Amino acid sequence: MNYLEDGLTLRSWFTTTDHKRIAILYAAGITFFFFIGGFAAMLIRLQLLTPGGAIVSHETYNKLFTVHGVIMVWLFLIPSIPAVLGNFLIPLMIGAHDVAFPRLNLLSWYIYVTGGAIVLLALLLGGVDTGWTFYTPFSTMFSNTWVAITLAGVFVTGFSSILTGLNFIVTVHTLRTPGLGWFKLPLFVWALYATSVILVLATPVLAITIVLVIAERLFQIGVFDPAHGGDPLLFQHLFWFYSHPAVYIMVLPAMGVASEIIPCFARQRVFGYRLMAYAILAIASVGFLVWGHHMFVAGQSLAASMVFSALSFLVAVPSAIKVFNWTATLYKSSIRFDAPMLYALGFVGLFTIGGLTGLFLASLPLDVDLTDTYFVVAHFHYIMVGGSVMAYFGGLHFWWPKATGRMYPEVWGRLAAAFIFFGFNLTFFPQFILGMLGMPRRYATYPDRFQVLHVMSSAGAVALAVGYLLPFAYFAWSLRSGRAAGRNPFGATGLEWQTDSPPPTHNFDRPPPAPAGVYEYDPNAPQPAA
Amino acid sequence: MNADSYPIVDPRHANRGAGAPPEIGKLGMWVFLGTEVLFFGGLMLSYLYGRTHWPGGFAAAGRHTHVWIGTINTAVLLTSSALIALAGATSECMPMRRWTPRLLWLTALFGLGFLVLKGIEYDKEVHEQLFPQAGFALSETGAELFFWLYWLMTAIHALHLAIGVGAVSLFAWATGRQRRWADSHRIEVLALYWHFVDVVWIFLYPLLYLIDRHS
Amino acid sequence: MNEADFRRRRRRIAIAWIALLALMLTSLGSAYLSLGIGNVIAGLVIATIKSSIVVIVFMGLGRSSAMVRIAAAAALSMWFVLAGLSGVDYATRPHEPARYQSPRQLQPLTGKENEP
Repeated sequence: MNYLEDGLTLRSWFTTTDHKRIAILYAAGITFFFFIGGFAAMLIRLQLLTPGGAIVSHETYNKLFTVHGVIMVWLFLIPSIPAVLGNFLIPLMIGAHDVAFPRLNLLSWYIYVTGGAIVLLALLLGGVDTGWTFYTPFSTMFSNTWVAITLAGVFVTGFSSILTGLNFIVTVHTLRTPGLGWFKLPLFVWALYATSVILVLATPVLAITIVLVIAERLFQIGVFDPAHGGDPLLFQHLFWFYSHPAVYIMVLPAMGVASEIIPCFARQRVFGYRLMAYAILAIASVGFLVWGHHMFVAGQSLAASMVFSALSFLVAVPSAIKVFNWTATLYKSSIRFDAPMLYALGFVGLFTIGGLTGLFLASLPLDVDLTDTYFVVAHFHYIMVGGSVMAYFGGLHFWWPKATGRMYPEVWGRLAAAFIFFGFNLTFFPQFILGMLGMPRRYATYPDRFQVLHVMSSAGAVALAVGYLLPFAYFAWSLRSGRAAGRNPFGATGLEWQTDSPPPTHNFDRPPPAPAGVYEYDPNAPQPAA
Repeated sequence: MNADSYPIVDPRHANRGAGAPPEIGKLGMWVFLGTEVLFFGGLMLSYLYGRTHWPGGFAAAGRHTHVWIGTINTAVLLTSSALIALAGATSECMPMRRWTPRLLWLTALFGLGFLVLKGIEYDKEVHEQLFPQAGFALSETGAELFFWLYWLMTAIHALHLAIGVGAVSLFAWATGRQRRWADSHRIEVLALYWHFVDVVWIFLYPLLYLIDRHS
Repeated sequence: MNEADFRRRRRRIAIAWIALLALMLTSLGSAYLSLGIGNVIAGLVIATIKSSIVVIVFMGLGRSSAMVRIAAAAALSMWFVLAGLSGVDYATRPHEPARYQSPRQLQPLTGKENEP
C-alpha cells in the first residue's frame, strides 16, 4: 500500500504526520496563493498597457503590486521548493522514514495556512499599499491601509518557515541511513540544508522587525521616527538583514533541483561535486553580509555602502562557480531534452542573466541610476521567476512520477516549458531596457515613449500565464490516464528512486544501504527507455 | 506504579540505533534557541542604536527604573534556573526521582513570582507616568524611546517566561503522575528553554536597570 | 546517573548558583560607582560571565555535541554580523555621509542631543 492509499478520508489528510502528504498539503496551499499573486500580476500588466493607465487608480495600483509581492514572496516562493519538494524528498533522499519532528511538520503547515488566511483577510478588508518592503515612515505613520493585519499574517507565516528549517536541519544531521556521509548526499539535500540554516537565522529578525513596525504604527513608539529620536534606516537594516538572505532562501533550493536534473538528463556526474557543496555554503554565509546594497540611496553612509558593494561582488563568485559547473557537467555528455531538463537549462541561463544584472546593481555609481527603476524589477524577476519558479516546475515534472506513480505527457511538458521560457523573456527583458531608459518601478502611469516596451511585456505575460496553466491541466489528466511510471523512469541516481512510485508510507521497507558514490552516471551506458 | 517503574528513556527511542535519539530533541531546541537569539537580537540592536545616539536621554530614563524590583527579579530567575537544573539531574537519577515534580513545581512558582513582581513594577511605572503617552514624565530626547524599548523587551520576555511557566507546570504535573512521556530527555529540553529565558534577562538587567545609577 | 554523580552535579549547580548571585550583586554595586565607560563595560562583561555560567553549567553546552555548539555559535555570530555591519553605517554617517543624508539624521552623533 502506498502513502496515497494509506487513509482515504479528509481527516486522514488533515491529521497526517507523513512528510509526503504534508508536502502535498503545502503544494495545494502555495498553488492557491500562486493564483492570487498571479492574478494581481495580470492586473498590473493590464494597467500598464497604456500610459494613462485606464484600469485602476494609483491607490489601487499600489495595493496591487503590494499584494503581488507579499503573496508571491512569503506565501508562494519561500515555501515552494522547501516545503513541497524538500518535505517530500529529504527523508527519501537520506533513507529515513520521515523527518525528525513529524508532528511539528504538520503544525508548520497549519501555521502557514493561518498566516495566509490573515493576509487574505487584510486583502479582503481593502489591502495594503506600502509595497512588500513596508518602508517606514510610510508604513508606520502615513499609510491608511491594513498594514498591521497584513504584517501579522506575515509574522505567523514566518514561524512556519522557521519550523520547516529547524526540522530539516535536525533531520539531515540525525536521520541519515548508516554509511551515508555528507559527501555522498545529493546536492539537493545540501542546498536545502543551507536554505534551512538561512531560514532559521534570518526569519526571526523579520519577526522582530514586524513587531516593531506594528508597535510603531499602533503606539507611535518612535523607534523609526526621527522626531522621537528614531531612525527610518534602522527599519531598513533590520528588514534587509532578513530579506536579502530571503532571496537565497528562494534561489538555493532551485539550484539544488537543477543539480539533480542536469546530471540525470546529461547522464554525467556533476562536475566538481565538492566545490558545488562548498559554493552552496558560501552563498548561504556571504549572503548574510550584503544587505546594505538595498540601501545605497536611502541615506546609508558612503563608507558602509562601499563595504556592502564589495561584499556583494564577493557573493556572486560562488554562484558563478555553480553556473560554470553545471555547464561543465554538460560537456561531453549525452543530453536528453526532456521537460525537466528544459526547465533546468532554462534556469541556468536565466539565473545567469539575473545574477549578472545583480552585479550591475551592486556597483554604486550604476545603482544610483538604476535603483527603483524597472531594471531592478527585471533583475529580481529573472532570478526568482526565471530561476526559482522554473526550477520548481522542473522539479515538479522530475519527481511527479515518483510522487504519483504516473508519467506526465512528455510532449505537453516540453510545450509548456517552451511557452514559459518564451513568455518569461518577452515579459521581462523589455523591463531591463525600460529601467535603463528611466522608467521608475511602482508607478501606475508613465510617459508615452515607454508604451511599446510595456505592451511587449504585457504580451509576454499572457504567454507566461498560458505556460503556467498548461501543467495544471496535464498533471491533472495524468493522475487518471498517465502511463504507469515504475520505480525509476528517468534512470536517476539517488535513494528516492530505489523505492516504489508512489512510495509506501514508511518510505523504505528496511533502511536502504548507502550508495557507493553520488551521481554515478555513465554517458556511454544505454539510456533508460523513455 | 511507583517512582521507580517508569523509564528514564522513552522506549521508542531505545530501538532507533546508536547515536541518533537523545540528541534529536536537544538539537531541535538549541536550533530554536538560536532563532530566539536573533529575535531578541533585533530589539537589542534597537536598544544599541538608542543608547549610542541618545546617551543623555537613556541615562535620564534609566534612573527611573526600579532597580530593587529588578534585582530581586534577577535573583528569582537565577534561582529558578538552578532549581530546574537540579530537577533535571534528579530525573536522571533513579533514587532521586521523587524530587523531580517538587523541584519543577518550585521552578514554576519562582517563574510566577517573577511575573507577579513584574506586574507590580509595571503598575508602579504606569502611575509614575513612565508609560510613554501624553503626559510622559521625562522630557529628554531618547527617554521615551528608552521606555518604549523597556516595555517591549520586558513584555516579550515576560511572554516567553509565561509560556515557560505553563510548560514547566505541565511537566511538574506529569512527572508527579508518572506519565511516560515526561522523561528525562524531554525535561532536559524544557530546561534549555528555561535557561535561555534566564540568559535574556541576565542581559536585560544591566541594560535596563544599571544605567547611570551613580549620578 | 548514580547517586555519587548526582551529588557531584548538585554541588556544581549550587556553586554556579552562588557565583551567579555574587556576580549579580557585583554588577549592582559597580553601577553605583562612577566609572564612566567602565560602567557599561562592567555591566556587559559581568552579564557575559553570568550567561556563560548558565550556558556551560546549567545548559551543558560543554558536554553537548559539536553540532549543538556550532548552532549556538552560528546564531550568536549572526547577531554580531547584524550589529557590526549596521554599526559601520552608524559609525561613519557623521564622517562619510552620502548625499542623501538629511541633517536631522546626522544630528544624534553631533552632540545636539536634547534638541526637539
